[in-house]
Amino acid sequence: MGLMTCKTNNPAARRFTIRFVVVMMLFAAFSVLSTVGLLLWHPSWWLIWLLAILPALPIGMAVVLTAQYIAEEKDDFQRAMLVQALLGGVGAILVLTTAWGFLENYAHFRRLDLLMVWPLYVIFVGISYGLVKARYR
Amino acid sequence: MKNRLRVLRAEQDWSQADLAERLEVSRQSVNAIETGKFDPSLPLAFKLARLFETTIEAIFSDEN
Repeated sequence: MGLMTCKTNNPAARRFTIRFVVVMMLFAAFSVLSTVGLLLWHPSWWLIWLLAILPALPIGMAVVLTAQYIAEEKDDFQRAMLVQALLGGVGAILVLTTAWGFLENYAHFRRLDLLMVWPLYVIFVGISYGLVKARYR
Repeated sequence: MKNRLRVLRAEQDWSQADLAERLEVSRQSVNAIETGKFDPSLPLAFKLARLFETTIEAIFSDEN
């Protein structure tokens, strides 16, 4: 999401891009930490919960950052394009996971790793943003 | 919504980028408004009217 607005001199977009990259670096670091911790440390039940929640926190932060950017962005058109792209991303991930659920349950498809939902969502938002941008070209 | 933005801009000999800079929006925004693909908000419409020293109605019309 952040990369979509990086080529800009718009202060709100620049702030959002920097913060988003930082949050995604936290996500990567926490993901490694949690994986190592859960596999190697034989943690107690409360530490299991903590390690599981830790990588999810930056995702929540990314959503808050996006809401903050939408509130700060003064360019109506840029805001409208981002909202449409986010909606496209939500729609695509909901359609995919619902359809995949049926395939898993009734057609013996392999299990979709839930950890893939966030990366897939970000990819779908990126694709959706490209399509929205092309529509207005 | 139809508009006379391209004509008004041409009269001032401004590029889309020039107008975008004066409005503090992106060039894509100006293009989308000019081509009628995106309707500006009321504050932006007022800003345009002030910039071209005219009224909002003189720039935009709701005829299809």
